[in-house]
Parts: sequence; structure tokens; C-alpha cells
Amino acid sequence: MEKIHTTCIYCGCGCGLYIHVEDGRVVGASPSPAHPVARGRLCVKGWLVHDFVHHPDRLKVPLIRRGGRQVRASWEDALSLTAKRLKEIKEESGPNAVAVLTSAKGTNEENYLLMKFARAALKTNNVDHVARLCHAPSVAGLSISLGSGSMTNPIKSLARSDAILVTGSNTTGQHPLVAAHILEAQSRGATLIVADPRKTQIATLADIHLKPKLGSDVAWTNGILNLIIERDLADEDFIRERTEGFEALKESVSKYTPEMVERISGISPEDLEKAAIAFAEAPRAAVVYAMGTTQHSNGTDNVLALANLILATGNVGRMGTGINPLRGHQNVQGACDMGALPTVYTGYQKVEDPAAREKMERAWGTDLPSSPGPTAVEMMEAAEEGLIKGIYISGENPMMSYPDREQVKRALESLEFLAVADIFPTETTALADVVFPVASFAEKDGTFTSTERRVQRVRRAVSPPGEARSEWRVAADLMKRLGVDADYSSAEEVMEEIAKVTPPYGGISYQRLGISGLHWPCPDPSHPGTEILHQESFPIGRARFNPVEHQDLELDPEYPFLLTTGRSLFHFHTGTMTRRVHLLNRERPRATVDINPEDAAALGVRRGQKVVVESREHSLEIEADVTEEVPKGTVFIPFHFQEAPVNLLTVHNLDPKSKIPDFKRTCVRIRRADS
Amino acid sequence: MTLNAALFLDHENLVPLIEELGKTLEVVAPVYAEGEPVFATWKGEPLALDADNPLNSPVEFFLPQKEVLFKYVQCSGRYTFQDVPPKSRLILGMRPCDLQAIKVLDEIFGTELPDHPYASKRMSTIIVALNCTSPGERCFCAQMGSGPAAEEGYDLLLTDVGSGYLVESGSPAGMFILRAHSHHFEEALPEHLKEKERLLSLAEEEITNRRPALTPEEIRRAIDETDWGEVEKRCLRCGGCSLVCPVCHCFSVMDRGVPDGERLRCRDSCVMAGFSRMTSGANPRAALGERLRHWYLDKFVYIPEKTGMLGCVGCGRCSSVCLSEIDRWSILREAIE
Amino acid sequence: MNQKSLKKEKRVRSGTLAGKGTDQMLSRYVPLQAEVIDIDVESSNTYLISLRPLDEEDETVRLDYCPGQFLMVSVFGLGECPISIASSPTREPLQICVREAGKITQGIMAARVGDIMGIRGPFGNGFPVDKMKGRNVVITGGGSGFATLRSLINYIADNREDFRDVTVAYGARTPHDLYFTSEYGSWQAAGIEVGITVDMMDASWKGNVGLVTSLLKDINPSPGTAALCGPPMMINAVAKDLVSRGFLEPDIYISLERHMKCGVGKCEHCTVGHYHVCTEGPIFSYDVVGDLL
Repeated sequence: MEKIHTTCIYCGCGCGLYIHVEDGRVVGASPSPAHPVARGRLCVKGWLVHDFVHHPDRLKVPLIRRGGRQVRASWEDALSLTAKRLKEIKEESGPNAVAVLTSAKGTNEENYLLMKFARAALKTNNVDHVARLCHAPSVAGLSISLGSGSMTNPIKSLARSDAILVTGSNTTGQHPLVAAHILEAQSRGATLIVADPRKTQIATLADIHLKPKLGSDVAWTNGILNLIIERDLADEDFIRERTEGFEALKESVSKYTPEMVERISGISPEDLEKAAIAFAEAPRAAVVYAMGTTQHSNGTDNVLALANLILATGNVGRMGTGINPLRGHQNVQGACDMGALPTVYTGYQKVEDPAAREKMERAWGTDLPSSPGPTAVEMMEAAEEGLIKGIYISGENPMMSYPDREQVKRALESLEFLAVADIFPTETTALADVVFPVASFAEKDGTFTSTERRVQRVRRAVSPPGEARSEWRVAADLMKRLGVDADYSSAEEVMEEIAKVTPPYGGISYQRLGISGLHWPCPDPSHPGTEILHQESFPIGRARFNPVEHQDLELDPEYPFLLTTGRSLFHFHTGTMTRRVHLLNRERPRATVDINPEDAAALGVRRGQKVVVESREHSLEIEADVTEEVPKGTVFIPFHFQEAPVNLLTVHNLDPKSKIPDFKRTCVRIRRADS
Repeated sequence: MTLNAALFLDHENLVPLIEELGKTLEVVAPVYAEGEPVFATWKGEPLALDADNPLNSPVEFFLPQKEVLFKYVQCSGRYTFQDVPPKSRLILGMRPCDLQAIKVLDEIFGTELPDHPYASKRMSTIIVALNCTSPGERCFCAQMGSGPAAEEGYDLLLTDVGSGYLVESGSPAGMFILRAHSHHFEEALPEHLKEKERLLSLAEEEITNRRPALTPEEIRRAIDETDWGEVEKRCLRCGGCSLVCPVCHCFSVMDRGVPDGERLRCRDSCVMAGFSRMTSGANPRAALGERLRHWYLDKFVYIPEKTGMLGCVGCGRCSSVCLSEIDRWSILREAIE
Repeated sequence: MNQKSLKKEKRVRSGTLAGKGTDQMLSRYVPLQAEVIDIDVESSNTYLISLRPLDEEDETVRLDYCPGQFLMVSVFGLGECPISIASSPTREPLQICVREAGKITQGIMAARVGDIMGIRGPFGNGFPVDKMKGRNVVITGGGSGFATLRSLINYIADNREDFRDVTVAYGARTPHDLYFTSEYGSWQAAGIEVGITVDMMDASWKGNVGLVTSLLKDINPSPGTAALCGPPMMINAVAKDLVSRGFLEPDIYISLERHMKCGVGKCEHCTVGHYHVCTEGPIFSYDVVGDLL
């Protein structure tokens, strides 16, 4: 038996763990005691991460659609056909008629090559990935206010906070190892404030649990700011020395009196005051947030409001402070860093910046397109309109994870060509003209960048099943067929190129990563990496306050419930992997809609009964769970279950600033299935 | 050389000895993987015998996290079944706590309809145990009567007495090894034996001073008096305590593959909700608190009733992997204080 | 190689598969193959399946079991689950009664005559029929738990002279949920008192409506014994009722249902307190499990 150190494939915590290998098969996993985040611990998904690797459902051979059926094909045929069709579409309809969706599940090396494939080979900036659906508002918001869209502090910093505001994050369920650090701070005496309409486990453990109504985040955050400023608890030195725009903020938040906040959010003035004082008086306070903050049609405003809060209290640049967006995929940070976004190359170098473009053109030896492409959800709209005709999707499952499933289906079906690479057949591979079987995390080399900007190794432990290959090879092979030089002999060689063209990754090399990896920015080989951002200054000089206002959202009296979506502790994303993990699927075998007991009584619904959840356009039959975890008027459905795909109900209600869809607030009505 | 004689093995002779043994057996030993000690197949790399007992117990070589029970192959409507033969192994450096865990498992898996996959691995494995002269921070084996010195259950037992290893045989197989490889050994001197006693009693003192012992009656009372609802609130439901425990042996069974495939079993955890939930949805231990209580009762009441031995060997792994930092020993103490 | 504590195996099961090497098969977890030879539809979601266990030469294997024992039944590719034996050892063929509950039971019910499934067992202790002999026997069940009682009823019917008064009280949710309706006549013919009741009646129903306890009128507790199987709530109510009529707790036998994976006391899924339902049960006397229900 061999034990190979690698990085977990699920959430952004990026826990180090060992994969146990016997006779070429993965037979177990165990936590890495020396890993700084795992510290010899894992969540339930991490402990069981080994179980899906050899599942018989794995894709093992390339498939090509012939006469309506996907049939076995050679790699040569699958690669040639993909290159040929994308090239034809590009030549007939222009480069912007093709697009690439990369994957937050892929390595940095894979994301880099797919991004290069889109830009250097297909000559389009039509490249995006699932970050659009999670932290686009963080990138948009925090770039404006702080100059960088990532977590300012490392996870371990949270254990040293004196007050932590967790909002829109079911941390105990979704980032258990981050939760462990938060709870460690609490047991040391820190005040834990949780703002969440749901009674999640971390909310029940909180010292102060604020239960805002869905869509009232700006109001209560501004309300806290207002109280802090009124009580002279703001950090005036910090504001004076390192920020700009405070006066406008002060003026803007002054109208958010506790009474007004209560009217909008339902949070009592007492609770609001307790939270404000605890946060402001703490020597080191931190904000932690996730999808509950970003996945709204005003997601960027929510982020800006939180940024205002940490700036006003001077909680930036020190251990125990900061604003910490928790990434939901193990490499969504890395995929963004690698420029798998329509606006930037690696390291957030803008495609519209001629100097950056020239640099990349020189590095890659080819000319590059200058205009940014559409975002992921916009791509689906463009596809339906016939503007995008060919897409390469890497390991994403838009049929499950994007809003408005029916629209996504129409979009993908209307394409002239769709190629999908994945480890398992999914609802999306089912629509593909070419399916590439690719290696899982246990079968490839590369790096992942965790939520705390920690670049870490993923190490090949076993061979991929059948003819499956690492996707960096697929990307390189496609590039070669489109005339771009891409002779990489290993993932490590790709990283060497990444380091050359990506300033924050300049000092990253496989030799340096070891168990703990390195935090970017790490500009040169002697740089120790940067745990805490903004210690001396901000990339934009001074941080900026950005006043934001609450917007009343319309309720639909015919659809009186607010549907919010999310994940369960036991599953990950569209369930492609965790639904195939024996124990995880046993723990949570089916989808349920969580309904508050009062609502359930009014509807005459008992636990276990089938109900129909209806939006204006679609409806979904699903089993009811009656639980205090959701407040009255709100219902919750996780999106892991293809038997009950909740994104049938969600809509393309995009945040204008970041183009994220609103997954957290859809108006629905509910009735018993037998009525 | 008499059967029960203790021998002395120079530190430098250990590697040549296991190299010889490795010619016919797969040698499993604590080795460094990226700098951390783990039990893995030894391929000649430096041994991690001086490091703390690895986080993952070598019990996994008898009861793997996942293993194939048998393969099924369908042919014209009928099935044929294939077993997976066990490997011949030598486990070097198994600590007394893990050795005790094996003894408990032998009682559960080796008697009354022995569990074939376990028993066959057990029969084909030689255990070279290592006494704990420098116990780890998390250990409370002395309180559980399972360490720091191994009493029985090994084929060979090593004690690092500074100048080398004192080697004792505990089985005919162990004796055979000593005879067949006698050129590596010397007769042990009385001072080696004395040094062993001294080091182990120091170790025992260190362990007992760290955490005061509880009597079985106190433990029973503590389980009754613990507010399991409170523990439930804090538990982050990772299952780590039961997945890392060397005595825990719950398993689940699953099939993979149609029409041909494998019936696998994987380690399971009685603290998970689905463990006892029936297909009807009814769950005899519905609350997490009840399941956590059951976990303790099993270790301190049910397993002792069944095997005459405690179901806890004091390795401390459950506390060290606990995501919620629930110290399993402390909560018992707190409950009765 | 230290075999010191690997004690010699003890036989704990009251019945075993006939034939050589079967103990090793059980402990290897390798099932015996069994051919489906008949399928009867008992209700919309319950089938009575007749099986012919096969040895390696495809010859029929006779299973030696007693009423109350169960089999681990496999559908290869879906898995294995415990199913009560519904037939009496006094009769051929071996039968299991399967109610649709999850994936595996769905798989079993999808089988057709001629298909192969895997069986291991028999497991569990079974009803202590020797202790019941010479006594008045009350057999009460509800829902799908009635399958295991049918094994006992047919066993008693075939050894009728060994028992005194025998009373069957059986309750189901609706008349459609009643099992083995064609056999009630033969039980009565064998001198067994049979009472049937439902929770919810329909137009065609002419029988009793209400709790099974209402069927237990003239039962004699001395010397009396009872066999119970059904939902925990019902069992508890019936057991209390029997105790109030003078039945002794140790003479009331209850068949418990639990989640199981191995059938041989190793996997720990079925534990009730310190008991393993698979090896020490599934039949327990009321004084032992009364508190644990």
C-alpha cells in the first residue's frame, strides 16, 4: 500500500490528504496532520473522497455522436473532429461563435491551457467557468473596493479573530474545515455573529444569530455601519490613512436606522446593536461570506457593503481580520487566477489592456483578440440566439448547475457542435457531439489553488480508467491541431509557463510546493508567498468605500414563497461524484424541500409527503421535509439531485455588475402533490 | 537459544533484517510520506519508528477502508464468484494500542463464524510490534490498560533501549524468524532488560500524569450523565472519530457493476444517520446525540461485555481528528465533575 | 500468524444450509445462487417469491431453517438486504415475501421466473418453537411483518397436535394490504382461530375494522405464549395488552426489524443496545427488548 499526498477535490478549503493505493487501486483516504488547513482532520466528504474514483460509471473511452447515438471512438477521431468542427464554425461565423467553459474542478494547468486554447487557438475571449455562478460579485466588488477579489486572509487567521461575522455561508456544512477554525476562535472567546435566514448548524452555535429576510443584506450591513459610525467605533486612523470615500458612505448609511433595518430585514434593533458593537469593539474582526451573499441579483452590492464594514473598522491587513469570500470549489480560485474569465488573462491581466495583450502575444507567439467575451450565463443566451455555435465544456454540468435548466437545454441543443470532457456521464455529456473521458484528481498531476490563495499540489496516485487522459493533454492536443505550439511533456512544464506569464505565480514551482503549498502573490522563486493581503497598501493605492443602497424586491402574491437553493453537507455541487459515494448517498439519498413547520401546517403537508413547487414557468415534484431550519415563508432545495433539478425553477435574473444569477431568491408557490 | 529468550538487535541491523524478510513478505512500516509518518509498504526508504504513531492505524491492513469481498461474473444466467487472496505481510512498528485493537477485533471477527476476509489477512500477517518509549501527546493507553508496553498478541516485539532494540518473541512464527535470521541478533544483556522496564515505566508515568484515569464505573456514570444533546450541537458530523478508531469495525456493503462486478465493503460509521436508518425511513437512533452515546456505550459497555476487553485502546486518534475538537476523554471527565 | 486469540468457531445459528463448506461461504460473504421458480403477487407492492437454492453443480440444495429466521438476499449489482423467510420448513419450496421499500427490494421484485438471485443464511435465532409446544399460541402481526409469522403459522398447522389453542390476529392498513388471503381457510381447517382486521375499509370489506388487539378475545394465558411482528407501536400495544391478560413477558416473542449488512454479527448495523438482531435475534422475548422498542 502506498500513501500519496494530494489535495481534496471538493470545496475551497483545499485540505491536504493521503490517498491510499493498493495494487493500482484507490482504497482509502486519510487526513494529513502536517497540512495547515486539514491539521489531521477532514469533513465527511473528505474522509470518503476515495470512493468514486473507480466507480464503474466512469467514462473510459471517447464518444462521438453518430446518427443520434454516442458511440465509442478513438482519441484521434474525437480530437480531430473537435478541432475540425470548432475551426469550421470559427471560419464560417467568426471566432466569437465558439466558446470554452473551463472547470473549477480542473487543475490550474488545465485551466491555463484551456484558456490559452480559447484565446490563442480559437482567437476568442469567450471563456468562462463556474466562478460566474459563485464569486463573480466578489471579484467585481472586492476589486473595486480593495483591488483584489480573493480572500484577504488565510483560513488559520480566523482562529485568531476576536469577532467573526459569518453571512450567507453555511460554513459548518459547506466549508467544515473553515468552520473548525471559526469555532476554535469562538472557544477562545471570540464572538461569533451569524447572519442567515436559515438555522444552519453554525447559526445555532453563534453568539448572535441575525435572521435577515432574503434580499435584505445591504440594509442590515448598512445598519451595522451606521451604528458603528454613530457610536464613534469606526477606525478613524485607518480610514484616514488607507481609504477614500468615507464621507459619502457615512452620509449614505445614516438613513439605515435600526428601525428602518428592522422594517426591511426583520432583525431587531437589539440584535443589530449587539452585532455592531461586538464587531466594532473587537481588536481583530473578520467577515466570512459565501453564496448567500453573492448569488443575488444585487450580489455585488452585498459584497461592497461588507467591504465597507471591514474598511470602516480597520479590519484589513492583519492576522485575525479581513474579508473572506469562501470558494465553493477546490480550484475556483485557481481557475480565475488562470484567466478562465472573459475579461482577463492569468493573474487578472486585462485583455483590453494593450500592454498585457502584447505581453501574452509575445509569450504565446500569436495574435490575440482584444474584446472581452460574454459571461457563462450570457453564453447560454447567445447560444440559444444562434450567436454561439460551438462550445467546448470542461467538466462542467450546466444542465444541473446553471439557472433555468430548460433554457440551458435549449441553448446546448441548438449548438452546431458541443464537446464535453468529464469523468462521469452527466446531463450535459448526454447532449454532446464529442465526449472526452478524462482523469479524476487521483489520476493526474497538477495544482489547485484553494480559497485562501494557497497553490497546492495534486498528485497522480493511480492510472485513469480505460483510455481516459488528463485534460491538460486534451487541451494541448486540440491546440496543436489548430496550429498552436503546445508540446508539453508534463503538467509541471505547464506550470513553468504559467509562472513566466503570471506575476502573482512568478515564484511558484512544483519543487517549492511540498505539503503546504504557497500563497500567491508569490512573484519570484525566493518569495515566501503572501498569507495576508493589503498589509502595507492596496493594489489600487487606497481602498475605496462604495456606498450601496437597499433595493426593495418585488414579491409576487401568487407565488408567496421565496425559494433559496444551496448544498447539503453530504453532497457536492451537481452530485456527479458524491451521489456515487456509497455512504454519502446513503446519508442523503434524495432531494427534499425544506419547509417551516408553520407553513407546512398551513399547507397541510407532513414530512415525507410529495409536494409540487411551482414557479411562473416550471414546476417540480419533490419530497417535503418539515424543519425549523428555514424561516416561515422561505423554502430550501439543494441542487445536487438530478431527480429533482431545482434549477428548473430558477431564472436568469442577473446582477448587472457581475452577471451572477439570483439562485437565492425565486418566487414560488407550493401545493400537495395529491391535491 | 531458548524459546523465550530476549535478543538484542543493533539499530543498524534492523534494515538488513527486514530486507531479508521482505524477500518473501510485503513489509509494511511507518515511513515518511512528504515528511509525515504513515503506514505504507516499505521500499527501502528511512523508517519512521521514532515518530509518533501514524494517524491512520495499521488495522487498515486487516480491515481496509474499502476492500473487495468477492467478484461476481455472470455467464448464461448463472454466476461465478472469485475471492481476493490475502497478501503475505509483515507489519513492522505496530504500537501496543493498535495491537490491543487487533486483539479485540480477533474476538469479534475471529470467533463465532469468523469473518473470512479479516481472518485470512490476519493469518497471513506477521506482526512486529514496537513498545512505546516516547508516547505521543494524545495517548492514554495506560489508562485503558493497552500500553505503553505490549503484553501479547505480537509475533515479535521490539523495545528501543537506546543502544538498539530488545527483541522478544511472542509466537512460534516470531521464534522462527529469530532462528532463521539469527546472524542479526545478539544475546540480550540484563541491562537491556532493565532499561526496557525503566523506559516503559517512565512512559507509563508520563501518560498517566497527563490524564487521570477513570474507573469503568466512572465511565459508565459519565456516559449516563453527559448531555448528549449538547455534544450533538457541536459535532460537525465528519465521522472521523469512528473512521480513524482502530477498534471501530462497522462496515457497509455495496455492489459495483452490472452484470459483472464486485461486492465491496467499506468502513462505516455508527455516528452517521444513515447507519441505522431502515429503508422505511424509520431510524432507531434518529438523533446524533443518541448515536454518539451509542458509540461510547459500545466501547465501554457492549464490547467489554462481549469480549472481556475495552473497546477503547487509548490511542487518542478520535480526539485528534475531531473537527469540533471534542476531546473524548475530557467530556467524560467533565460529565462527572 | 499469532492465532492465539482466533478461537475456534462456535455455531450460533439454529439452522444451517445443508451441504458442505457452507459455513465458509457464509463467512466469505459469498452467497448461494437461488433460482426464482414462482412469483405470487400478494398486494400491489408485495410479492411472494419461491426460490430453488442451487449448489455449484446446479443441483437443488435443501435449506434447513426454522420459522422466524431470515435470509440475506442479493441482486448482483444492487446489493444485499435481509428478508424474512415466509415459508415453513415443513413445506417446499423456500419462499420469501418482499415488499417494495428501496432499490434492492425493487430489484428483487423485478426478477422473473428463471432469474438468479443470491441468498445467504438462514440467519438469526428463529421462533423457539420447542418452547411454544404444548401451549396456547397467540400470533399477532401487522403490515409486512406478517410474512415471518406465516412461516410459523404453517409450521404449526403442519404440527398441529404439538400445540394447544392457536389464535392468529392480523391487521393491515387496507383490505388490499392483506397478505396470504388464500391461506386463511386452510389455517382454519387446521384448527387455528383466524381474525383479520383493517385500519381503513373499502366498499367490499365485510370484516373487522380497528386494532388487532380487538381481535384477541378468548385467549388463554396459561400456559400461553405469543409471537409478534409488526410496526413497533403496534407491537408495544399488543404486548402490553397480552401482559394485562396474564401472559408472562418472557413468553411473548417479538420479531425485530433492523438495517443489516452482514447477517453474522460483524457489521454492527442492527445493534439494539448490546444485542445484535442478526445473531441474537431477530426474535427476542418481551422482557429483553421491551425497553428498547
